[in-house]
Amino acid sequence: MRGCESSRRFSVALGFLVAQLLCAAGARASGSPIPHGTLELVAENRWVTPGQGFSLGLHFQLERGWHIYWVNPGDSGEPPRVAWQLPPGLSPRAIKWPTPRRLGTSSIVDFGYEDTVTLIVPVHAETSLAAQPLAHLGAEIKVLVCREICIPGKTQLSLTLPIRSQLPAPDVRTRELFAAARKDLPRPAPQDWKFSVDDAKDSFVLAANVGPQITRAIFFPLAEAQIDDSAPQILEPQPSGFRLTLRKSDRLLKPIDRLQGVLALSGNHAYLIDVPVSKRDAQRNNSRGGIFEIQPSREERQK
Amino acid sequence: MRRSTLYLMLVAVVICAAPLLVAAAKVGQAAPDFTATASNGKTFRLNDYRGKYTVLEWHNNGCPYVGKHYKSGNMQRLQKEWTGRGVVWFTIISSAPGKQGYVTASEENQYLAKMQAAPTAALLDPTGEIGHLYDAKTSPQMVVINPEGTVIYDGAIDDKPTTDLSDVAGATNYVTLALEQAMAGKQVETPATRPYGCSVKYSGSTH
Repeated sequence: MRGCESSRRFSVALGFLVAQLLCAAGARASGSPIPHGTLELVAENRWVTPGQGFSLGLHFQLERGWHIYWVNPGDSGEPPRVAWQLPPGLSPRAIKWPTPRRLGTSSIVDFGYEDTVTLIVPVHAETSLAAQPLAHLGAEIKVLVCREICIPGKTQLSLTLPIRSQLPAPDVRTRELFAAARKDLPRPAPQDWKFSVDDAKDSFVLAANVGPQITRAIFFPLAEAQIDDSAPQILEPQPSGFRLTLRKSDRLLKPIDRLQGVLALSGNHAYLIDVPVSKRDAQRNNSRGGIFEIQPSREERQK
Repeated sequence: MRRSTLYLMLVAVVICAAPLLVAAAKVGQAAPDFTATASNGKTFRLNDYRGKYTVLEWHNNGCPYVGKHYKSGNMQRLQKEWTGRGVVWFTIISSAPGKQGYVTASEENQYLAKMQAAPTAALLDPTGEIGHLYDAKTSPQMVVINPEGTVIYDGAIDDKPTTDLSDVAGATNYVTLALEQAMAGKQVETPATRPYGCSVKYSGSTH
């Protein structure tokens, strides 16, 4: 008798659970706590369509003053790391990192994000993917959150999405979030823009011919320990572009073939660049500016 | 008049900046000398240890990356092993007063006892002078100096830039590599890496 009662209760509970799961299907999961913020796994589409790639987003919301890191974190810190748990037939591609900011003012400069940021992760869906009402998408995230101090966090995120043979349909609830995130992504540099990088002894000189004169440019190196992250980047506007002097890292002991990274110009415009490094006579660069150009920057570096 | 004032200011800037510029340590170059007071009250001068290998370890007891190496016992193990083989090991604390990791001498002595740490000495650098001299960016940043006084390694402690204790076991330790290779008369294969960890909490640091 008692056993029958409890099994009835169990069926009712199970019914509730199933109902909840069904309602949650395709919906935005609520944010999980991370140190000094929340993190949410979101999907751009309402369902997964076999053979059609789609995007997931890792949406970070941080308390004022706290930050997380870009793929190259700079002088200190560590980028978020994701271990995906996806159904067979779904495979995550590399994270699309929005243009970071320089964080820090003194001898230590990091690259990262404050306030709110969404990391977009494209996912490949195989054509052989079988339709199912509730595919479970999971991710374990390790993230370092810092202000003056750093706190490592770890959280498990999950999302359920149906897999349907219908054409993909965007989820109106996440549309703005993904649109905003895409605006913050660096784009490929226009074909007619010309870049060169000179290896000039203690610096790399990135020269750009982009049409108009450029008065604001910041370079974010993709690889660690190539340029001195905390050194001021010296911009010299040119009639049709700019020259940007990037002090080499003391830890760069071998010549490099290419300089890859993100070039941020004014007005939230940022571009992915990948420029071969040419080794020319360092004299030209040394004699050009002299102490008037280099010295104040180094003084600034020490402040 | 105005131009000459500007010129004077520039010269002043150059002169003021000069001692700072020549100072920073670089792999392959002479390790800048320093004198510091240790938590045990003794005074240590780097150049007194010419003739021995010396390891500098930047420390901050509140940093989770440092915590990884102390909670796992990795740092203590390295300290015991290498001081046992005649290496001088200086733990350096460059946190400014009020910042994370700043300790008084007695607090540091308690920490060393509690963690069973075994450096030659823990040097107190609350002004950040030694930190800036070596351009120390993170804790735990590691520097290895050879008996001739040349920096032969500068960078991370190992190749696993995480806070996970479980990452210690499989990591390649760059300090061990540098010391073993140099002691065997070989070239140090990896003389410089990006140091990982928390930023050194210098006075005026904001992140």
